[in-house]
Amino acid sequence: MRQIGKLTRRLFIKGGLWTAALFFWNLFRGPEKVWGQEIDSFSGTDFVGKTREGKHRSFYINFWKPMRRINAKTWTLKISGLCESPTTFTLAELKNLPAQSQSSRLKCVECWSARAEWRGFSIKELEQVILPHASAQGVVFHCGDEYKEYLSCDALNQDRVLLVHSMNGESLSDAHGFPLRLIAPSKYGYKNPKTILEMEYVAEQQAGTWSKIGPYSPDGTILPGWDHPLEYDKQARRISGGEIIDY
Amino acid sequence: MKLLALSAFLMFASGLISADAAEMMIVPAGEFIMGDNADDYASPKRSTQLEPFFIDRFEVTNEEFQQQFSGHTFWKGFEPHPVTNITWYQAKTFCKQAGKRLPTEEEWEKSARGTDARIYPWGNKPLRKKPHPFYSGIIKRRVGLNKKDNSPYGVRDMSGSVWEWTASSENGKKVTRGGLWNHHLEYEYGKTFDRNLIAPSERFIFLGFRCVK
Repeated sequence: MRQIGKLTRRLFIKGGLWTAALFFWNLFRGPEKVWGQEIDSFSGTDFVGKTREGKHRSFYINFWKPMRRINAKTWTLKISGLCESPTTFTLAELKNLPAQSQSSRLKCVECWSARAEWRGFSIKELEQVILPHASAQGVVFHCGDEYKEYLSCDALNQDRVLLVHSMNGESLSDAHGFPLRLIAPSKYGYKNPKTILEMEYVAEQQAGTWSKIGPYSPDGTILPGWDHPLEYDKQARRISGGEIIDY
Repeated sequence: MKLLALSAFLMFASGLISADAAEMMIVPAGEFIMGDNADDYASPKRSTQLEPFFIDRFEVTNEEFQQQFSGHTFWKGFEPHPVTNITWYQAKTFCKQAGKRLPTEEEWEKSARGTDARIYPWGNKPLRKKPHPFYSGIIKRRVGLNKKDNSPYGVRDMSGSVWEWTASSENGKKVTRGGLWNHHLEYEYGKTFDRNLIAPSERFIFLGFRCVK
């Protein structure tokens, strides 16, 4: 019994030490935390996906599915469907188009919003080349994460709707939709597709990925309601609907 | 009150109110409670006096709007949906050409809440079934479909459906009333005193109107 008792105490102490070691190891291990500094789950990997960690706490990242990072050397933008001259553009060609900058807020239908300085070009610049047919009512965006979204030609040709390649003075990061995304400030984030691979001109309105699933309107115009801007500690603010311009 | 009912009867009898205008409801003269102290945008709660008026029972539809503005287009089957995506100026012109006008926000609020200061057109409790964006005007349905959204004067869709332009202004913008609020995919019926301010040149898929006379 005495021998067993000694073993039990030894085991108990050993177990306690292992538990403490595991606790502290877990506290500082990656990928969530390295030496107390938080980074996102996809940092250092070949993939990007939904995250609100690390630097993305100030501008959340949503993806339909985790996806492999885009190779800038091989990426092209294919424009297909109802147009006179279907064309494939390289990133260099797109960056040579007349560009404009705008500060606008991206409002997610889930709750949050964040503002950034975007730089890109109007879809008119592309349409001068590809010449959409009169029968084309809208565009289906095919994205790198298998996300699909539809916007009408009318919505895409509104002022302040841009195809952007830069954010806050730098090329779009992989997380923010490198190399090309749409910014439509009067519509919820799900109508602002990222990592665009193909734009297909179509004759009829289609439901995008989210509109097929949940209570997401196909139109996606921001409704009157409440917003929780990330840079203002998510404190609720009333919004009138449409683009948020008050802050 | 008797005089108003008599004049309404005489107007019907004399054909001054067309079949379309017959869908207008009478809101009698008198005071009502306007605003709410719990909402900074709608305070203070106060007593307001109004003359009698008629108000459209339903929001103006695509079909009605197209009769005046032939260039107005919409998807097939959307004829009875509330017209949206129109500026305040277009709404004002439509009402004027119909021999009517846009309601003031006082008229709109009295039509929605009656004289007992109710929170919703149907009473003080939210409906058991939460609104879905199908009722928001984003994915529109025909006017009057939600029979529970009915005011004390029989005016429909003042809490759900689309937001509505009014004739009233504040800080260079026009006051809009009604419709749904989106709170993180949780849709809430607008309260009778809820207000929203939108620039008159804006047009939104969730914003329509009705007329008064």
